[in-house]
Amino acid sequence: MTEQIPSSKINKVLIANRGEIAVRIHRACRDLGILSVAVYSDVDRTALHVRFADEAVHIGAPAPRESYLRMDRIIDAAKKSGADAIHPGYGFLAENADFAQQVADEGLIFIGPTPSAIRTMGDKERARTAVRKHNIPLLPGTDAGLRDEDLIAAVKQIGFPVLVKAVAGGGGKGMRAVHDEAEFASALATARREAESAFGNGDVYVEKLLVGARHIEFQILADQHGNTIHLGERECSIQRRHQKLVEEAPSSFMDDDLRQRMGDMAIAAAQAVDYVNAGTIECMVDKDKNYYFLEMNTRLQVEHPVTELVTGIDLVKEQIRIARGRRMTHTQSFLEPKGWAIECRINAEDPYNGFIPSVGKITTLLTPTGPGVRVDSGVYNGYEVTPYYDSMIAKLIVSGETRSEAILRMRRALEEYTIMGVQHNIPFHINLLNSFSFMAGQIDTNFIEQRFSMDTYEEAPTEAELETAAIAATLYAHRQRQLATQVVTPGKRDASNWKWMGRYERMHR
Amino acid sequence: MKYITTINDKQFEIEIGNDGRVLVNGEPREVDFLPLEASLYSIIMNNQSLQVVVGEGDGMYDLMIRGRRYEGKVLDERAQLMLMRGGLGESDSGEITIRSPMPGLVVAIPVTEGEEIVKGQTVIILESMKMQNELKSPRDGTVQRISVVPGESVEQKKILITIV
Repeated sequence: MTEQIPSSKINKVLIANRGEIAVRIHRACRDLGILSVAVYSDVDRTALHVRFADEAVHIGAPAPRESYLRMDRIIDAAKKSGADAIHPGYGFLAENADFAQQVADEGLIFIGPTPSAIRTMGDKERARTAVRKHNIPLLPGTDAGLRDEDLIAAVKQIGFPVLVKAVAGGGGKGMRAVHDEAEFASALATARREAESAFGNGDVYVEKLLVGARHIEFQILADQHGNTIHLGERECSIQRRHQKLVEEAPSSFMDDDLRQRMGDMAIAAAQAVDYVNAGTIECMVDKDKNYYFLEMNTRLQVEHPVTELVTGIDLVKEQIRIARGRRMTHTQSFLEPKGWAIECRINAEDPYNGFIPSVGKITTLLTPTGPGVRVDSGVYNGYEVTPYYDSMIAKLIVSGETRSEAILRMRRALEEYTIMGVQHNIPFHINLLNSFSFMAGQIDTNFIEQRFSMDTYEEAPTEAELETAAIAATLYAHRQRQLATQVVTPGKRDASNWKWMGRYERMHR
Repeated sequence: MKYITTINDKQFEIEIGNDGRVLVNGEPREVDFLPLEASLYSIIMNNQSLQVVVGEGDGMYDLMIRGRRYEGKVLDERAQLMLMRGGLGESDSGEITIRSPMPGLVVAIPVTEGEEIVKGQTVIILESMKMQNELKSPRDGTVQRISVVPGESVEQKKILITIV
């Protein structure tokens, strides 16, 4: 590479995260010939991100507040290990402007946007003000910092349904949909409580909730040389309690004209805060293809792999390249996705039991492979899923030439995937992919909660399938019983094996 | 050995001979059933190859075949006989306990001791993996005892609330 002289040296990166995303970032570092430093809490000593890393530094107790959220310990670990840069991943400190500032103050490179861009986009109110100047359409909503009474008054003006959102929110926490006035007070209390416990900030605001709308987001990349591009959209309407479960790129709802307009809007929104590095503009798009800016996520997204598969770009490598001060590889936006990609988030949650999180030791793990299949995982056989962190244990991503090829491939991969020891949501994904609505692309953000259930979408099993299950259960029970008797018998013998053998032979003479 | 096996409420009479032969409701079936790991099996039946995951708990079997979950019960002749005599009868009345499905933090308890509750009513809110989970009553009843307080950390399977 002779085109640009690197302005910043990055030879070693500290990854201030855990799980699959820490592994993902480690891989990009290795692919670039860069060393990686992992950080870990007490319960993550044997986690995959620690096992793979070149160096690993212990940073505290399991609770995030005492480890992965401890800025001082993480920066200390970076300095002690001689890292030049810190990659925050997503969640934890990824969108904490103070952290980005402290990293810079210590003379380290923060692989992400500037503290001021994080601060502006992280404060929903300032973000709306910043993008409004660029004629970017916004949903009707209230200011932040209002008391309950004022919120109730404001909501009557906006009209139900509305969404209560945490100012410091993200990942669906501290977020509640409210459909009429009667539920408003209790939803407000829950959202405040959740926001307080998740972010230490109970402040919320209210936004108009669009019914039947889609969640579509645009991936942005911007370098320090003034180039800002988008890498096309991601369809993220398959959500449950505002947590994305399945993402696709491109969106079956998109057309060339809409992609052009939304892409331009996304670039303008990023430029409104002089954005640098990777970021995502989240939008709601209604049935008539009117779109509204929701927020900007100033970090790498969980669902970034679907964009990678349809653009051929390694987003994490590109992030590091940008942080090094180089020009990014492509300076033209991606208006034509190559093929189709789908991601299913594999969560340790029981889909048959209200999606309750499940903990325990993984006793069997068979990971799908083969053409067009990618698995970004943070677990292995024998790994213990603990209650301290997110329930997402892996992401299964497939690509195909067309959407139907990708769906068929995803079904195949989901059937290959065998995880035992914890409950997981693979049966949910299989049912979802078999539903006609999903196949037809008829989805919106309420689809899972209002029109999908494990019972109604699962075709009743045939007589033959029930019989097969009955035979399997019986053979299993029979086998267990035989094993049990075999184990017990020798211990119960009162005589030595030689005597027993003699008696046996006499009996059968 | 003869078994009465119930899968998703459908009953089958299954006989497994000493030679391993399988009869379903008196008709022979050719089944090749091999263990792969502790609870992972491979079945070949009518040339169909299936991977079966079996879980066991509280006398119930949990099977996963091709991404579909089945719930079943396997009773041998003696257990079946005892059930018919009423020895193992189940009932909808009596005490039930709500246990913590995972380790977590008790966030709120929206009911009080002595309160009449209905099936599906939220009785406790438990936080785990950063999500708040609402545990609901499996049937109508009265809250007899609340064994935890908000703010308390609980282990998996800890008794939280008793309903009569």
